[in-house]
Amino acid sequence: MLSADFVIATAVAYVGLLFVLAYFGDRRARERKKSFLHSPAVYTLSISVYCTSWTFYGAVGNAARSGLEFLTIYLGPTIVFVGWYLVLRRLVRISHLQRITSVADLLSSRFGKSSRLAVLVTCIAVIGIAPYIALQLKAVTSSIQAVAGASEFGQGSLAGIDDVGLALGVAAAMALFTILFGTRHVDAKEQHHGVVAAIAFEAVVKLAALVAVGVFVVFIGGGFEAIFRNAAARGFTLDVENTFDDRWLTTLGLSIAAIVCLPRQFQVTVVENSDEDHLRVAGWAFPAYMMLMSIFILPIALYGLTTMPAGANPDMFALTLPMAAGQSGLALFAFIGGFSSATSMIILESIALSIMVSNHIVMPLVLRFTPSGRDGQGVSHLLLVARRFSIVLILSLGFFYFFFTRDSNALAPIGLISFTAIAQFFPAVLAALFWRDASLKAATAAIAAGFVIWVWSSFLPSFESVSPQVAELLRDGPWGISWLRPEAMFGLDGLDPLAHAAFWSLSINTFTLIVGSLLTSQSTLERIQANVFVDVFRRGNIAPRNFMRGVATANDLYFVAERVLGERRAAALFETAARESGVSPAMLNPSPEFIGRLERELAGSIGAASAHVMLSKVVAGAEVSLEEVMQMADETQQVIEYSQQLEKTSAELRSTAQQLEDANAQLRVLDSQKDDFLSQVSHEVRTPMTSIRSFSEILLDQGELDEQQRHRFVSTIHQESLRLTRLLDEILDLNALERGERTWENVPTDAEAALERALSVCDALLRQRGMRVEFGSRARAGMVDGDGDRLCQVFINIISNAVKYNDAEEPLLRVSSSVRAGFYGVEIADNGPGIGKAERSLIFEKFSRGQHGSADQSGAGLGLAISRQIVARMNGSLDLVAGPLPGACFRVRLAVLR
Amino acid sequence: MAERRKLEAAMLALTVFGTLLIVPPLAYIFSQPISHFGVPQVVIYLFAWWALIITATVLLTHWMPRDSADNGESE
Repeated sequence: MLSADFVIATAVAYVGLLFVLAYFGDRRARERKKSFLHSPAVYTLSISVYCTSWTFYGAVGNAARSGLEFLTIYLGPTIVFVGWYLVLRRLVRISHLQRITSVADLLSSRFGKSSRLAVLVTCIAVIGIAPYIALQLKAVTSSIQAVAGASEFGQGSLAGIDDVGLALGVAAAMALFTILFGTRHVDAKEQHHGVVAAIAFEAVVKLAALVAVGVFVVFIGGGFEAIFRNAAARGFTLDVENTFDDRWLTTLGLSIAAIVCLPRQFQVTVVENSDEDHLRVAGWAFPAYMMLMSIFILPIALYGLTTMPAGANPDMFALTLPMAAGQSGLALFAFIGGFSSATSMIILESIALSIMVSNHIVMPLVLRFTPSGRDGQGVSHLLLVARRFSIVLILSLGFFYFFFTRDSNALAPIGLISFTAIAQFFPAVLAALFWRDASLKAATAAIAAGFVIWVWSSFLPSFESVSPQVAELLRDGPWGISWLRPEAMFGLDGLDPLAHAAFWSLSINTFTLIVGSLLTSQSTLERIQANVFVDVFRRGNIAPRNFMRGVATANDLYFVAERVLGERRAAALFETAARESGVSPAMLNPSPEFIGRLERELAGSIGAASAHVMLSKVVAGAEVSLEEVMQMADETQQVIEYSQQLEKTSAELRSTAQQLEDANAQLRVLDSQKDDFLSQVSHEVRTPMTSIRSFSEILLDQGELDEQQRHRFVSTIHQESLRLTRLLDEILDLNALERGERTWENVPTDAEAALERALSVCDALLRQRGMRVEFGSRARAGMVDGDGDRLCQVFINIISNAVKYNDAEEPLLRVSSSVRAGFYGVEIADNGPGIGKAERSLIFEKFSRGQHGSADQSGAGLGLAISRQIVARMNGSLDLVAGPLPGACFRVRLAVLR
Repeated sequence: MAERRKLEAAMLALTVFGTLLIVPPLAYIFSQPISHFGVPQVVIYLFAWWALIITATVLLTHWMPRDSADNGESE
């Protein structure tokens, strides 16, 4: 037989073991970054702190009372973890980037770093968790009593102590343990590796204990089938048809919300997560853990109902069944398992809550009211003291709740009250992760509204059994207003009280959040944070993190500054900053640069490290290191450079493409001209060839031609041969010029003389056409480096073109020459039709011929091309310029020799 | 990365349809007062659902590429 003293001694020894585990776990984690404490297995086991004595004892009781409903508490979290990729991964990523320390911190950070929202969330969490803590106290107390109550002898030193005294003792011991465990030092990231190691160990113990009891029960019960049959024979059957009712949906929904929002779950799943990839394992392993936990609950409950006396507390079946069978060892193991599940929950929950209380309530108050002159070390110490007091406060609240509601029997309903309170954060958390437009005012109002409804419809009714006033209120409503009755609000009567409370609180909560967000607007900081949260996977995750971590409220910063620097210097500093950004000091929105400046100022008074610690405390984990700022600046610079390069490259590409297009168009025109020319040449060659052939055939065949005719035919053949030769010469000439085979030597030549010569050569042509020649100013002489004959050829070509293409009534040629600025220039203009715009760029190309002009033009279109090549070989230029006459005007320019 | 997007969609589908299977009205199909091997059908159904959804998650997670493989991934 077990005695109470022995059981208590075992429990204390067990806690001692946990403490040693935590101590060495901490050291190990500190020494080696890659120890197994950072493994996904430990992570998953620590998450199973979700399974508390509610699971160990309460689930059995719940199964005995209401059948399968207990399963929903584990099915909800299963759904969340199966979908880990959708919500949890996002939550963990955001929290890592933003250094989030709690669910209050998460909401406050997303909604513009609002401290008021953080305070509200913290208060609700502390009040809402009180029933949950009470549940653990009750479970531990009941389990000790179950062991001790078995016999007079078992009472031991517990004789004369009632359950309240026992619960007080348990609460005090728990507070002490938690303080020893969780508040030995302040970690910057709020991670507690030692505690997590202990929790993981406890997870193994409680699973092993429950499975051991389950296997034992199935064994003595004769297998699953026999247990179910015997229970059915005794009238204990599952109410299968009413399993999926409104309570099923409600508890499923509440457990989904709870696994995300419960402070301790947030702590282990999000804050203590050291590697995002651990979620990949936890995603299936945690559901598997819960499934193992659940398998034996139904058999234990049914077997207990079948075999235990009618008045036995079904919550304690896991403990009393082995005892009834005389298995003291197994009963002790079961007790330790239940004790494990209770202690792990209490330790972690109160650590998580104490972090929230100290960071969001105590620290701001302390900073506001303590006199200046404290150093950073003092703040850190203060933080620890604040946490210790918070732990005592949290356990006290739990105890008081237990004290006032001790008459109610079942464990599970108490837990569900807490779940409903914590679920009030869920809409805001989801909005924080996914909805850009959710606003601070709406979130605050929504959570507050949900909380008020919860207090009214769920928290208050739980005191029904101890307070006649509450009972009366439940029956008649306040001041007899029946539609305000806590369990039948707005006339919604007949619903299960839990479903009723959850429905009203959560729907009013969600409605307020959505409509409120649509009606209100966000501050700049809120908008920035909203984008950081919602787009956490979209943008490169470095720049916004660094930037945002530097954002704090001016108020918070001012308190720090005032304490260290004194009122006068702090005020001066803030006023300067405000003046620089052009706002009033009250409206100052501190930039990262300003925080950096403030930190330097503080460092001047209390040392750099302390200043850094202090600022990062106030800014709730925010810090901007120089390195990060540099990195951020570098990245910005890189992005700017990159975009500039892109711009430049695309501009280059654009101009290249334009050039290509122009060249292509020119090629196309040239190509068609070439085709034209080739048919022209064929035609030109064919005409003389035809006449040469026909005349020579006549000469061959017809003997009796007279001399005169014969002579005419022969001279025609001669002329046509000459024309062919000339055409071929021109083509050969141009070809040679183009290939750079110069057939002459450049020597000092008088260009003016060449011009005179050309004019005299063309005199006959001009007279024949009746073209008048007009002279402008003339250079006296122009000595250039070139070849006289070739230059003359150029001038003749230009003049003959002017004659050939001129169709004016009174054809006129104007020639002028000059020596100016070291250049000899000749301009030859006519009053012909001129050259159209489209032709201007082509006129100097080979095979190009003017479109206008008299029909008898006989050139092959090579003249100007040849002329230009010749002038170019003399280092000069031949251009088409705007002339004094309506027609074309060609200008030859050559450098004058000195 | 099309592969990742499809797996994400598969996870969403698993979560949503998995949830639908254990709430009314689909759950009513299995809540008949029949027993197999002495165990009520609904109990077997729920635990089978549990085992299957865990297996499916193991598989999907196994196929899902790790984040470290592509840092600039998009949603």
